[in-house]
Order: sequence, then structure tokens, then C-alpha cells
Amino acid sequence: MATVKNRKVAEMSFLARLRKFPFWAWLWFIIGGLYFILPLLATVEFSLSWDPEAPFKAYQRAFEDNRFWSSFIASNVFAVITIIASIILVVPTAYWIRLRLPQARRIVEFITLMPFVVPAIILVFGMIRVYSTPFTIPFTDVVFMRPFTQSRLGTDILIVAGYMVLSMPYMYRSVDTGMRTVDILTLTEAAQSLGANWFAIITRIILPNIRSALLSGALLTFAIVVGEVILASYLGVTAFGPYLFLLGQHRAYEPAALSFVSFLLTWLAMGLIQLFTGGQGQAAGAH
Amino acid sequence: MSYLSLTNITKQFGDTVVVDNFNLEIEKGEFVSFLGPSGCGKTTTLRMIAGFETPTSGSISLDGEDITNNPPNQRNVGMIFQSYALFPNMTVAQNIGFGLTVRKLEKQLIQERVDEMIGLIHLKEHAHKFPYQLSGGQQQRVSLARALAIRPDVLLLDEPLSALDAKIRVSLRAEIRAIQKRLGITAIFVTHDQEEALSISDRIVVMNVGEMEQVGTPFEIYNFPKTQFVANFVGSLNNADAEVVDPANGILAMDGVHFKTADEGMKNRRKGDKVKISVRPERFSFAVEPLKENVVESTIENITFLGSVVRIQISIGGTKFNMDTFNNPFLELPAIGAKEKVMCSKEAVLVL
Repeated sequence: MATVKNRKVAEMSFLARLRKFPFWAWLWFIIGGLYFILPLLATVEFSLSWDPEAPFKAYQRAFEDNRFWSSFIASNVFAVITIIASIILVVPTAYWIRLRLPQARRIVEFITLMPFVVPAIILVFGMIRVYSTPFTIPFTDVVFMRPFTQSRLGTDILIVAGYMVLSMPYMYRSVDTGMRTVDILTLTEAAQSLGANWFAIITRIILPNIRSALLSGALLTFAIVVGEVILASYLGVTAFGPYLFLLGQHRAYEPAALSFVSFLLTWLAMGLIQLFTGGQGQAAGAH
Repeated sequence: MSYLSLTNITKQFGDTVVVDNFNLEIEKGEFVSFLGPSGCGKTTTLRMIAGFETPTSGSISLDGEDITNNPPNQRNVGMIFQSYALFPNMTVAQNIGFGLTVRKLEKQLIQERVDEMIGLIHLKEHAHKFPYQLSGGQQQRVSLARALAIRPDVLLLDEPLSALDAKIRVSLRAEIRAIQKRLGITAIFVTHDQEEALSISDRIVVMNVGEMEQVGTPFEIYNFPKTQFVANFVGSLNNADAEVVDPANGILAMDGVHFKTADEGMKNRRKGDKVKISVRPERFSFAVEPLKENVVESTIENITFLGSVVRIQISIGGTKFNMDTFNNPFLELPAIGAKEKVMCSKEAVLVL
């Protein structure tokens, strides 16, 4: 008698648990997960199917190519420079707007959305048109600077500036969101009353407290720069994006292998963010 | 010359005058409170002393030096905020040492000063914790230590106890006062809590709509308010309309009931003048022998138990007054509706 009763109680608790199980939530989560993972699995499977005897042949071939390393390193260097330059430009801008010019917020947000409206091809043609002619002293024919596009350094400066424009929506929004979670005004006033100047406030108070937001912005900038094709192609700069694009037109397996490597690098960067922020937002202390 | 002088300070935001022609002299080591309702200009005045706002006109001088246009980081003024404003990325020790680090003092000196300050606020065991690991009271003590570590010329406290619960508030305000006295530091405390201001200050500045209503010791402010606003804002007060009957002898009539007042200003009034009289609830008492002046018949309307005090609502000639009496276990209270004789001294009747 007691056993039957116990079984009924067990059945009831199972049904109760089943009712509590968030079925739809899990269903959508699984569908979403498959949407992202299936193409990746297909890419990996394809990259390993070149030679059944040597499954990593595509990876080996890709890594043996010197052009891969030179373009990969160049893109990484561009990405790091873009990130540093963007932080130097965006953090003080977002900080000042929050602190002193809240009325300018809408204008700046509109400007940061421009890269979504103006395609990269328009941007690069505009840059080439403006910066491929020499700079002259106004109303004279005296040239005081050669065109940017005629030197390696000039072209590198142009491409970094272009990358900064393309990544601006992501970097600005990340930084602005990070600042929203911190009481910027009071922390600034507290630091000022203790004798800190603007440089000390930004480097020692603001930047550490928006660290995870900065890392998010940096990751997105990194992903944009490493995968970017149009700016690099039209400015004739060695970069990973155009290399991958060209490789895809002539080879089948190596681009798939390199795409997967790019994914791994992105995951590595995300892992680093978790590592640096300890899985916490900056509001909890940023340490 | 005073240590801190505010001379003809006016602050306007657009067309709105937030602080109007404010003048104040503060001596070294004094603890002054700015007391007033929200929007009266007390925080704006404090922020002008800190350098976060620039006066529209007027000047501020500290120890003989005009600091009106000095930036906040060049004033050596410590500030404590209502929201603590501790740096979330720094430990307690790093927070306290921040002001010393930006002044580029020697590491040894910074460490010694940080240890001294942590000892002062009794948080030695929390030195390596982050702000989010501390309670509100502990965070505000760290904020106090951080402001004191730079040895400021003036310590400014902007409603530092408002975000804390009642018990912590009382103990922390006593701690702030004790530390201020021990270090002999000049302090300005902004609050809208009259009890806080009365308990902690050497002098209180009562402010209303950007103007200074009265400056005085807590005793003066409470017992001898100069304006109706001060009388109403500080402590509880009974107000009633009355008519001058005999100005020379200080006799007033309220609903046909005569009161005597010791107010000096009565001599300047004329018979028949309409005035407002104010009496603090604790200045009323049940009439006992020998009967003095201002013994009047009243009706008991209501009795409210407030812990240490019992508040009795009485009606005198149709006007309702509150009368406070200390609670004790043997207190014999009259029944509601009973007729009782109550009295108050002529000094208790304020004409404002």
C-alpha cells in the first residue's frame, strides 16, 4: 500500500517537475545554438575532408603559406593600433559628453551610426579621392605634404582611420554603456577634490571602471579589422581579409580551415575578456 | 579675518537664482551646518566652496587667499558625498591613499598616512577589501578617511548620512563630530535633517529659497528663531493667528483667549495689529500651583504615544495645539474630551 502511494507521489513530483521545465525556452535555445554551430561544424568537417589520409592537410598548407603569416600579422597589428587609437578618441569623447555636454549626445550617437548608413566602398572611394592629391598651401600651388596614398605610412594611417570609422559604432556604444553603469560625475568630483587632474581621472578612475566595456569594444573592433576586405583591397594594403577572399577564389579547403582558425581566435579573445573581468561587470568592482 | 569667507555669493542657473547674496564667515576648527529643505541652495553653496560650481558673483576666500576661480583639484578641500563615491576599482587602502598618490608623496609616507586613517575609522581588517564588500556605514567611513588623508583645509560633507539607516546614522554622526574635534578641522555639513544639524554643529545656517534665514548656535536656532520659516523648519511648532491687545504689556488675544508674550518686538506694534504667534509643543504643560501667566482652559482632543514623548492635542478657544510631555510609567493622562487648564511661560510665546 505504502509502495503504491510512494510511486504516486513520485509520479506527481515528476509531472510537477515536467510542468516547471522551461520547454519552450530550451527549444529556442537549442534552435539558436544549432543555427550558430551547424555552419561551423560543416566548415570544420569540410576543412578536414581534403585528404582522408591527412585530415589536417588544409591547415598545414594554409600555415605553410608565407602570405598567410604576413597578412595575418599585418591585420593584427592594424587591429591593435585601431583599438588603441579608438580608445584614445572615444573614451574622452564619451566621458566629456556624459560629464559636460549631455545635450550633444544625440548628435554624437547619430555620427556614430553613420558607418551603418555609408557603405565601406563609399568611404574608401572618398578617402582615395581626398587623400590621393597633394596638400597645398591654400591659394597657392606650393605642396607641403605628399598624398597619403603615395607612401606606405600614409596608406597605413588611412586604413587605420578607416577602420576607426567602421568600428566606431561598436566602440562608442560599448564605452558609453560602460560609463552608464558607473556614477561618472560623482567619481570625477571625488577624484578632483582629492587633487587629481584630468589625466589621472581618466587613466586611474574612468578606464579601470569601464574595463569590461572597453574589452567588448576592443573585441568587436578586432573582429571587424581582421575580417575587413574592402578598405584593404582598394587601398592596396596587405591584410588578412583580402588574402582570405583571394584564397577562396582559387582554393577550396584552405579558406575553410582559416575561417575556423578565425573563429578560434575570436573565442580566445572572448575567453580573455572573461579572464580579465573575472566574469563580472565593472559595476561590481572591475577587478 | 575669518578662516573661510563667503562674500556676496550669488549663483544663477539661467534665470533661476539658486543662491542669493550669501555672506558667511567661518572660523578655523568650526563645525557649521547648512540646514534647509530641498532646493534651498545649500548643496550649491557647498559645491561653490568645493569648486564644482563657479559663483555668478561674489568671492570665496580661504585662509586669506581668494579661491573663487581655483579649480577643485587646487583647493585642498576634502569632500564627502551622499553616495560615498568610493572608487570601485580600488581597495579601501588604495581609496584612502589616492589623494596622496596623485600628490606624488613618498610611498613610505603614503603607507603611514593610510594606516593612520584606517586606524582612525576602525577598519583595519577591511583594508584590502573592495567597496562593494563593505556596508553603507563602512563605505562612508572610508570616504571620510579618504577625505581626511589629504589633510584638507576644509572638510565638506554633502548629506553624508542620508543613505544610511537610522542607527548607523546616529553613531556615524557622533564619530564624524569626534574626529572633527580631535583633528581640529574646519567642517561644513549639508543636511535637511534638523536633528542631525542640531546635534552635530557649532553653528547652523538655516537656508530657504537661496537665502540665509538665520545663523546661530543650535540653542539659538531652536529657542530663538528669528523667522516663521526657521521656527517651523526646526522642531515642531504650533502656529496661530492673534491680535495685539496691549503692546506695552505684551498682551495678545487669540479667539478671545488672552496670552502674554515677552517678545521684544511687541513694543513696535499697535493695538489691533494682526500677528502670528508660535509656541513649541514642549513649552505647554498642565497648569500646576503656583499658577503663573498664560493659564488657559483647554479641551483634550487626542493623545498620541511617541515613545519617550506623549503628544496631547488640545483645543484652546477653537484653535488646536500640540502639547508634548515626557513619558513615564506613572504618567496620569486625562481622558479625551476632558477640560484641563494648561499653561506656558510668556517667553514661550513667539511673535514672528
